[in-house]
Amino acid sequence: MGSQFVDLNGDGHLDYLTATFDGSPHIAYGDGKGFGKPEHLKDAQGQRIVISSIWDYDAKKHRDADPAIPGERCISALAFDWDNDGDYDLLLGSYENGHLYLQKNEGTSKAPKFTGKNIPVLAGGKPFAVPGKMTSPRLVDWDGDGDLDLIAGSFGDSYGQGKGGGVYLARNIGKPGKPEFAALETLIEPSAKGCSEPTRPDAGLYVEAVDYDGDGDLDLVVGGYSMWTPKPRKLSAAEQKRADELTAQKNRLTTERTAVNRKISKEVADATAGLDHSSKEYRAAASAVYAKHREDTLAYSKKYSALTKELGELVPGSQRKSFVWLYERK
Amino acid sequence: MNPGCGGILASIGNRTEPEDTMNLPTLPAWTLASAGCALLLAAGGTPGDPPKFAAPKRIKAGDKFLGEGRLYPSPVLHDIDGDGRADLVVADLIGKVTFAKRNQSGALAAEAAVNDRDGQPLKFHNW
Repeated sequence: MGSQFVDLNGDGHLDYLTATFDGSPHIAYGDGKGFGKPEHLKDAQGQRIVISSIWDYDAKKHRDADPAIPGERCISALAFDWDNDGDYDLLLGSYENGHLYLQKNEGTSKAPKFTGKNIPVLAGGKPFAVPGKMTSPRLVDWDGDGDLDLIAGSFGDSYGQGKGGGVYLARNIGKPGKPEFAALETLIEPSAKGCSEPTRPDAGLYVEAVDYDGDGDLDLVVGGYSMWTPKPRKLSAAEQKRADELTAQKNRLTTERTAVNRKISKEVADATAGLDHSSKEYRAAASAVYAKHREDTLAYSKKYSALTKELGELVPGSQRKSFVWLYERK
Repeated sequence: MNPGCGGILASIGNRTEPEDTMNLPTLPAWTLASAGCALLLAAGGTPGDPPKFAAPKRIKAGDKFLGEGRLYPSPVLHDIDGDGRADLVVADLIGKVTFAKRNQSGALAAEAAVNDRDGQPLKFHNW
């Protein structure tokens, strides 16, 4: 979830604009005394603004609001006066393929009326597409030419050993009221991972560009996950023996648990046969099965955690932790 | 809480919200009322001139690393408390928002919740 502080309703107070993984922009209006309760930003028809995929709070499931672009979920929103007409339009960012959409404001700066129609934004003549799933783009005059360029981070492979996330720039080479974005340039290469200590944000890169140190150029402040595997230390014979025992126990426990999970899944399937997955009856029947196994599940988790912790002190495993980093411009 | 000068540089027409800061001297971003105000003062480079950055360093807030352990921390510089110095606001995947207050020395204090006008932690809905 990114953040933009912007006076979206033209009342002279900054509002807090963002979008979450529920697929829609949210706004907390400011009134000079602070922010109000966050709410969904609505279009001119009073509908939740979306790209397509949303979490339906009533049905408690994901659905596509626009079947023409299935799976495109809005997880970022930026206010930007695209057409230079004195009010804010919206840029909506899609998670899965890093697309960006423009939704125009046909109202005024004090009474926005967003059309509900999403227009694909291009970069280099092709659909704007950040590789590796886009986090949240930002607007910044990167090249000092007086207009706003776009920068965006990417998620990359957030859990496995695949290529991590990077940071990209699309320069605005258009004119006031007619932005045009050039093809993406790479500001931070996607992470190759594989370090033995945290050296950079490797996945889920959320970027801010700002002259952090006041030297006249733009630095990058980047949040994200670092993923590393500490170098193993040399173990004594006794430690090695214990590590081998723990590894065997861990493997045995994992195998046992996999079988238990299959059994629980079958019990849930039997208990909910013929029920609509979004119904209260379904949830009640499934919850009853999980409740029956709750104690066993908790006992397993506790045992697995203790075992993993002891093993990790002898043979450190993969680490994953989030931080915020400064990339100081040279 | 005072939302302050103007978070991100989002222009309306030919002006910059909420006030024109073009004539400000070049100072560290945090000395300005908001990070967004500083963005006009600094250029990032020209096409064909790939930027070079020093090896990244983790930013500290108080005695912890900023954003440590959060779910996908997302930083933005913004003067959240209206004291004229840009703080670091960190939002995350589950919709929680904190800020690290910029002290007079320039150091960042430990993260604290960003509250709404009723004094409750600001929390955006996620699925």
